[in-house]
Amino acid sequence: MKQKDLKRAYNNVLAQAISDSNQYLFAGNLFGDIFVLRIKELDKGSEEPPGKLKIFPQGSDVDINYLTFHRDFLIVGAVGLIYGLKWNEEEESLATKRSWEVKIPIQVDAVEVPDVNSMWLDSENSILFAGCGDVVIYQVSLEDGRIQREYRGHTDYVHSVVGNAKGQIFSGAEDGTVRVWSTKQQQHTSMLEPYKNPNLLRPDWGKWIGAVAVNEDWLLCGGGPKASIFHLRSLESTCVFNFPGRVHLCDFVDDCVLIGGEHNHVQSYTLNGVLQANIPVEHTACYSAVWQTSPIKFISIAGFSNKLHILKDFRFLDSKIDMYGNVEGEENDLEEEDELIEKPLTVEAA
Amino acid sequence: METILNTQFDQLQKAIEGIKEAKSKGQSTDEARIATTLMFVALKHANREVKHKIKAGRDKLHLEKCKVDLSRLQLQNLLYEVSHLKKEIVRCQKFKSRDTSLELLSDAEYSSELPDMAKDEEELSSHKQHLHRLDCELRLRKALDKQYSALLSSKQELLQDNLSHAQRYVSFAPALRTLQSATKPLHDALQLSLDVEWKLSAVVKYLPKPLYVLFIVLQSLQRVSEEQSFSAEVVGYESEAQMQELLKEKKCSTLNYRHTKMESGERDKIEEKTNLDEALAPHPLHICLTIGAAGSNQLVLQIRYFDLIKCATVWGQLNCSGNSNGQADANFVHYLLRHLYPNDLGNELPIPGIQYELRSSDLTAEECVRYLKAKDYGKPFCWLQSMCSIATVNSSMLYNHELNLNKNTKEIIDRIARRLNSWQRLSQQIRGLTFKDIDLYSLKENIYPAGLSCSLVQWTAITHEELHSQISDALNTSTADKGITYNSYRAVIVRGSAKMECFIRIPSNYPLEMPLWILNVHWNGCLTAQNNSAIKMMEFWTNSLQPKQLEPNHCVLYAQLFRTIYSFDIFLETEGSMQNTIEYNKEKPYISAFAKRSRSRPYKYIKKGSVFAFKQ
Repeated sequence: MKQKDLKRAYNNVLAQAISDSNQYLFAGNLFGDIFVLRIKELDKGSEEPPGKLKIFPQGSDVDINYLTFHRDFLIVGAVGLIYGLKWNEEEESLATKRSWEVKIPIQVDAVEVPDVNSMWLDSENSILFAGCGDVVIYQVSLEDGRIQREYRGHTDYVHSVVGNAKGQIFSGAEDGTVRVWSTKQQQHTSMLEPYKNPNLLRPDWGKWIGAVAVNEDWLLCGGGPKASIFHLRSLESTCVFNFPGRVHLCDFVDDCVLIGGEHNHVQSYTLNGVLQANIPVEHTACYSAVWQTSPIKFISIAGFSNKLHILKDFRFLDSKIDMYGNVEGEENDLEEEDELIEKPLTVEAA
Repeated sequence: METILNTQFDQLQKAIEGIKEAKSKGQSTDEARIATTLMFVALKHANREVKHKIKAGRDKLHLEKCKVDLSRLQLQNLLYEVSHLKKEIVRCQKFKSRDTSLELLSDAEYSSELPDMAKDEEELSSHKQHLHRLDCELRLRKALDKQYSALLSSKQELLQDNLSHAQRYVSFAPALRTLQSATKPLHDALQLSLDVEWKLSAVVKYLPKPLYVLFIVLQSLQRVSEEQSFSAEVVGYESEAQMQELLKEKKCSTLNYRHTKMESGERDKIEEKTNLDEALAPHPLHICLTIGAAGSNQLVLQIRYFDLIKCATVWGQLNCSGNSNGQADANFVHYLLRHLYPNDLGNELPIPGIQYELRSSDLTAEECVRYLKAKDYGKPFCWLQSMCSIATVNSSMLYNHELNLNKNTKEIIDRIARRLNSWQRLSQQIRGLTFKDIDLYSLKENIYPAGLSCSLVQWTAITHEELHSQISDALNTSTADKGITYNSYRAVIVRGSAKMECFIRIPSNYPLEMPLWILNVHWNGCLTAQNNSAIKMMEFWTNSLQPKQLEPNHCVLYAQLFRTIYSFDIFLETEGSMQNTIEYNKEKPYISAFAKRSRSRPYKYIKKGSVFAFKQ
């Protein structure tokens, strides 16, 4: 199989981000390519051919685990490091040179370079919280790139980090716990263990928590155990969502709950657990959803396939946008001939 | 006049009678006599008058007569002219222009040759048109004639030039001979054997020109190369070649004869039914190129030349030295030649303008290619023409005429040898897997030291349809087919209660494209790349194996198989660690079972010195 076809067939997009101007959508995959989509293309009539994406390769050795956007930087969470790329809005181009880099310190007993699995940006204070593969959450100041603090307590790698305006940080991890942290306290302030709830546990799928989301009053999490909503004060499960697959993605969208994961549909529920929309997707598993309401209302769902799924009214699938094979300047690529050269057969082998 | 005279006479008679009467009466007649005498005067006058009138009448008559004579003369003239014109008309009618026997350009040719002239003749009558046409033709012929004479003179010049050069070279000869003899001791000292003659068997000179070029190039390459990686020989009898040449000459002369007959007006209505067999007969001599060292498997290429289509074709065949199954090998030789160069599938005649030439013998290029295929003469690949120094035009209308024959031919032969080697290894691997005469445990030793818990229980060939019954993105993403065909296989790997089905698709352009694996795991339901991301990653890991990652003596299929088996082991071990009833324990050395938000499994094998581990 040719390299090009291989990338098409096995494109795994773990990360998406929207620019601060709400005009551009970024999607990064495990082949180290960042795709950029002009959001206004989504609003075009169906007669015009949709514009192509731009691609900014980061090198095949870079896994793009997470993306977020701050001011005019695209922040990339890779393996063992977080780096910023300047986004030039006029030229629609991403700087090839990294503007800054923050290296994740390697622990004394570590055998592997930790992944940066999830990031949450406190944009008011320019602070970035990064949940990493070495079970630690790092608090990074974006002013000087210093690591200000480490949050320790998880016993397996962190899947997801989110925070709220009150200074609370929530993290879900492979160890099956959701921990709540305060910037002012060393230890976690409270801890949830959904897998211990028999209503939530799915025994064959493990206890890991794949995704966490919060709003003012509620916390939403899921993974191996079923997705469920918890009240922030009592930390009691108030509603269980019957999403049939493993959960890798959940979010509060408007006043609904969006849940996705290893399943051929993404589902939207009300806070009471009533299924509102069942959206078929081509992804083997969904890993990322980003959304905005203005100037163009849309939600983009990405995962383990070569397509971005776009929903304009948050309930029905509008379009699927190809990534590889739909990139500006791709047609000019000359096909390189890569021949397998083998040593001649020896006679005794025959 | 009569009346005048008559009245005079009457008066005179009356007067004489009066006198007579008077005389008889005896009266004096003097007075009457005088009056009568006077009357004579009047008579005389009248007489004169009459005479005068007669003269005038005669004059007038004469005048009229003259007029009549003149008009009569004119009439005579006209009559004469009429007869003359009639004669002229008859002559015109009998007149026959030579232009009818001239061969003029056809309408289409005419308008294409002289477009501006063709344009303004529309409104002319047919005759004038014809005249105009003839006029143009004359001009054209004059121009061509001029051209012809110019070419003739330049040919003369070149001949002269050639002659002078030849003379110069001839004058060199003695000097060279003395030089050669003078340097002979030096040659002996350096052990250069310049005296070895180019011995070519007599049959070589009967080869058609392109094959001759090819043969000479092959001979020279064979002489320079150290190892005998290939050999070439001419197959056929010179007598046959001679015979064919004779036949050709004869045919030519009969054609000429027929042509002259046609000119003389006796149109032969016997339509020549061109027999494909006859028209497309290959040259009786062909080259047999054997690639590969003696003793091992050899690829035999039969290269034939066809006069009619002006190109060479190649038919490949594998000479097996040992045991093997013929069918698969025959297929792969076909694949090998077809995909030697991209976009050179040999499905059309690559000779520029050949279809027009074929039209004159009522043939089409497609017919010829079909015929060649049916007769097992092989295909007219562009690369083959470039070896024979035949100019080609490929399917995307790119013109190519290879001039650096030595380098090009060597490259092509090396490439064939390389591909042959790859294919042989592949078919050997397939055979090994099908008949299970490979020992997976000993083979994997030099790749992965860790234990192997799964076993390959089956490897069978399946049909294309069976493969396509699998729903897979990987099958659908393949770009435009470009004439690639596939062979499909099914492998079954088992460990405990879990079973994995692998569907393997081997493309016909094999060393350029790797075999594609599609995996189905049957364990707690059917898991495929469609519904399980871990299986999809596994499939990716197997398919992403690139030739350059292979170590020199590794085989592609085996390496892919090992990757798949190890990935399957790891999948079962990582997935099993979460199950209530633990069927599979961790046996492989991996650091963490899961990583990243996608919970990817440690399929990648990392080896650093003596330390090895599986990683995400």
